[in-house]
Amino acid sequence: MSNLSQYQLQNLNESERSEILKFIESENAKSKVQMSIHNFTDLCFKKCNKNSSMNANLSNDDEQCLKNCVNRFLDLNIKIVQTLQQQ
Amino acid sequence: MALFGSSSPQITTQSDLKTQIQNDITQELAVANASELINKVTENCFEHCIQVPENILTPQQDNCANQCLARYMKSWNVISKTYVNRIQNSK
Repeated sequence: MSNLSQYQLQNLNESERSEILKFIESENAKSKVQMSIHNFTDLCFKKCNKNSSMNANLSNDDEQCLKNCVNRFLDLNIKIVQTLQQQ
Repeated sequence: MALFGSSSPQITTQSDLKTQIQNDITQELAVANASELINKVTENCFEHCIQVPENILTPQQDNCANQCLARYMKSWNVISKTYVNRIQNSK
């Protein structure tokens, strides 16, 4: 970004500007999803490897544990929102 | 480093300014994404593989770290698929 001067940015026309804003919005959304995946992987890697030895390959059980971990986390998230709404 | 992609080419003509900005944004986000991954893998594998920090990384720790990294990447992919599926199904 550093090599873009304010002057150059002002040279963009209206449609280019709105195109860039749209681009930022969609990249932002993608980035949010990626950051959630980072957080889930961090959380579920810890949860699912508690007793197992660290080997490079995931067994079927390991994989199932990771899938369940994400899905139950999201279930719980929804449940908590619903519970709070009822209060 | 290939992980971060090569730096975007310097495009100076006015008509390409928009493309340059978009490339810069993509580049910034790719770097943020890669460093998040590197930080989290390092934390998890340090926790798991290095019980007692010694004056060098022992061969066992080194091997454990390689296994751990590979396992973390595979886990990332499983979680990514699961989460994206769930988002798509809820729409």
